[in-house]
Amino acid sequence: MRARRNPKQNHLLAALPAADLIRLAPQLEPVPLPLGAVIYESGGEQGHVYFPTSGIVSLLYVMNDGAAAEIAVVGNEGMVGISLFMGGGTTPSRAVVQSVGRAYRLDAAQIKVEFARGGALQRLLLRYTQALITQMTQTAVCNRHHQLEQQLCRWLLLSLDRLPSSELVMTQQLIANMLGVRREGVTEAAGRLQADGLISYRRGRINVLDRAKLEERVCECYGVVRRESDRLFASHAAIAA
Amino acid sequence: MSATASSAANNPKDNHLLAALSGDSLAALLPYLEGVQLPLGMVVYESGGAQRYVYFPTSSIVSLLYVLANGSSAEIAVTGNEGLVGISLFMGGETTPSRAVVQSAGWGYRLRGEVLRKEFESGGALQHLLLRYTQALITQMTQTAVCNRHHAVDQQLCRWLLLSLDRLPGDELVRREGVTEAAGKLQAEGLIRYSRGHIKVLDRKQLEARVCECYGVVKKEYDRLLPEIGTRLH
Repeated sequence: MRARRNPKQNHLLAALPAADLIRLAPQLEPVPLPLGAVIYESGGEQGHVYFPTSGIVSLLYVMNDGAAAEIAVVGNEGMVGISLFMGGGTTPSRAVVQSVGRAYRLDAAQIKVEFARGGALQRLLLRYTQALITQMTQTAVCNRHHQLEQQLCRWLLLSLDRLPSSELVMTQQLIANMLGVRREGVTEAAGRLQADGLISYRRGRINVLDRAKLEERVCECYGVVRRESDRLFASHAAIAA
Repeated sequence: MSATASSAANNPKDNHLLAALSGDSLAALLPYLEGVQLPLGMVVYESGGAQRYVYFPTSSIVSLLYVLANGSSAEIAVTGNEGLVGISLFMGGETTPSRAVVQSAGWGYRLRGEVLRKEFESGGALQHLLLRYTQALITQMTQTAVCNRHHAVDQQLCRWLLLSLDRLPGDELVRREGVTEAAGKLQAEGLIRYSRGHIKVLDRKQLEARVCECYGVVKKEYDRLLPEIGTRLH
């Protein structure tokens, strides 16, 4: 099945003024995001930025001893590769596809040229970067102050916001890697959520049964990130102006 | 140089970001840069609060932190003479959920947000410098996330101390807090000394040996992204 080309499935691209998107469109290359694909490595060259239309990319840091900690998730609300316009070119973190999907990618040289125009795309990208910063800083806060069960809820909700259904396909080991904890901890926390009817978790498939309850159970960190995102992208007109 | 230099000794070039600006850029900002004292505990901006100024510390440390619903604070990053406080003014958000508080008293400069934004929007070297600075700040923040997850409290404290020292002209912090257990341990081992709100670092090498890899990751990134600034080496 061939999917129809539709960059507007990515919310940042959809927020661009029509003329800008028309100009960009020929350079937006549709690509698959296979599960586990490393989009860029820590300190590694980045040839493109990616605007996902589906799926989720995890930004994570891997330590010397191999333990990892996820810093942020990116889906169709955002883009991967901010260091290409922020000027660093590389970053110490790694970007990995955590949930299979598709994206439009734009060549590194191209994004720099577009950014330098100083128009709507620049404003959009900077504003998105600020939303991403809030997600990252809230992860820092959450990692220090909140219980694993709440962190799991936060992670589930942020992922769900970037997926079309209420189902995630993810092993407990993978979630444990993302949260930077032992698998046993995830099993226990997920078990409690399941026992309380919030999710069902069977053979690597998590189904969120009661989203409202999940939002009650999660710590304040989810709300902070969500409200900032909503605020920063409240009106497309405000950004394109 | 004392951590609490007088206003006469305050100089914009004591902030490395300002010192790295081209002659033209600095000339454009100079008339609007106001030397200000940054007293301990001063709230530079509140969570969700309007920010009219950006701040360039010269001999002080401003902490970015998040205040939880239960009232406790979670530190996210530190800024001192290597940078500026108030990135949301040019990133477009205008406010942020975090709060900025002076954690080590001293001096700095403030600049009206709209003046900086105008210079920023004209593109060029100043914009590139501020964006690279922001990327370095992002690395510091993300490393805090990692560190909070994986490393012991005393290593986290070592990281804060070292990052703060790198952003001050002397080897002393002026902080109010009581001595925490982790700090007490470092003091007992002769690495630091607390005395009437002043923390003096006695053995920097030992601090660097004790700290986790997170300090090195952040320092390396700042040095790489901002070669014209260069954090102070001991």
